[in-house]
Amino acid sequence: MVDISIADATVEQILANQKGLIAIGAGLAVGLSGIASGIAEKDIGAAAVGAMAEREELFGKGLILTVIPETIVIFGLVVAILLLFL
Amino acid sequence: MSFLIRRGSKKYPYITARVRAMKSKLFPREVYPKLMNMDIPEITRLIGESEYKQDVDELAQKYSGLDLLEHALNQNLARTYRKLLRVSQDEPNFLITEYLRHWDIWNIKTILRGKYYGAQAQEILDAVVAAGQLGYRELTSIANMESIDDIKTALANSPYYAAIADYDGGELSAIENELDKIYYSRLLASIGKSKGEKLSLKYIKTEIDLKNLKTLFRTKKAGLVKDDIFELLIPGGMEFKSGDLNRMSSLPWSDFLKGLEDYSYWSEISEVVSEDMTSLMDVEALLDKYAMGYASRVSHYYPLSILPIYDYMLRKNMEINNIRTIVRGKKVKLPDEIIRKHLVM
Repeated sequence: MVDISIADATVEQILANQKGLIAIGAGLAVGLSGIASGIAEKDIGAAAVGAMAEREELFGKGLILTVIPETIVIFGLVVAILLLFL
Repeated sequence: MSFLIRRGSKKYPYITARVRAMKSKLFPREVYPKLMNMDIPEITRLIGESEYKQDVDELAQKYSGLDLLEHALNQNLARTYRKLLRVSQDEPNFLITEYLRHWDIWNIKTILRGKYYGAQAQEILDAVVAAGQLGYRELTSIANMESIDDIKTALANSPYYAAIADYDGGELSAIENELDKIYYSRLLASIGKSKGEKLSLKYIKTEIDLKNLKTLFRTKKAGLVKDDIFELLIPGGMEFKSGDLNRMSSLPWSDFLKGLEDYSYWSEISEVVSEDMTSLMDVEALLDKYAMGYASRVSHYYPLSILPIYDYMLRKNMEINNIRTIVRGKKVKLPDEIIRKHLVM
């Protein structure tokens, strides 16, 4: 392993390093919020399908309720965009 | 391994949402007064246009009038319960299976009773509800058997054999009681320690309490002696522990009513209970109502658990009992007031 000390690094290297960390942060923001909304949607989706199996007219309501946790991942996406472009 | 799967995974969201949707299809309370004003053919037509359509259509070739309705109701109940088994998985499926063994007990009792009174196989089969582990085919073959020994052999592998092993075709009450006890002790023993199962346990224990309470009222009123009463009670209740049952069964009628004040059920029935009450109909109706209210209440406390399913099963059963009460009451021309008292809404 190459031992890089921050005192020896050039300005370009430090900037590149920061960009990398920002990219990782943005990735985590989208990825983790994606997993979280997945967990939240799993039960709602199952329940919506269960209710729909008995009453087809609940399709619209079930669909809307199922995608409500999708907002979490949108927040994640917004955070990622802010990180990357601002 | 399947043991671990059952304990570990909880697949409640699907089944509870489905059951709630099924519950919304039950008859609302307002329908019963309407049914009371109709004749039997009109009731049959209304039932035939509702959720019972498939059953009424299927059986319309074989039966008519009151028979048709009775059979359609029985068949629909069995079909509904089997459907719950079909659409559930893992823990809920296990708990429903155990709970539905109640109908095995019911069917064995029905067959033995039928044989005792010399009924035809077809008559016996009319009254069975194939919602438990014993399927309709199995029940048909058992009902067609002539001798009690054959029936015992057919049931030799079932857990209920212990109760009927010594039965010789005579008096049934002891056997019936034994069957109930086996059912509840197996049910309580099979339920484990997970959160969902503990909730289930609480519900079943309350059910046992209410059953014991009814038995206590009936036997006390009939003036049975302590040992006979205690023999009929089912151990394992929530509030009525073994010691309580022992004490309550030994008290005379007036002290028994006073003793009841220590239990939470008293507030439900205190209005109609008095020392000189002649009929137990009101108390039993109130206890049934309490059971239904309790099931509905706890099902709202724990929406993602087995309780909404139990609640639905109870309501479905009550609906069918109510329709049957109305129809039978109409058939024998009972006054509306009495029929209304028997309805659980």
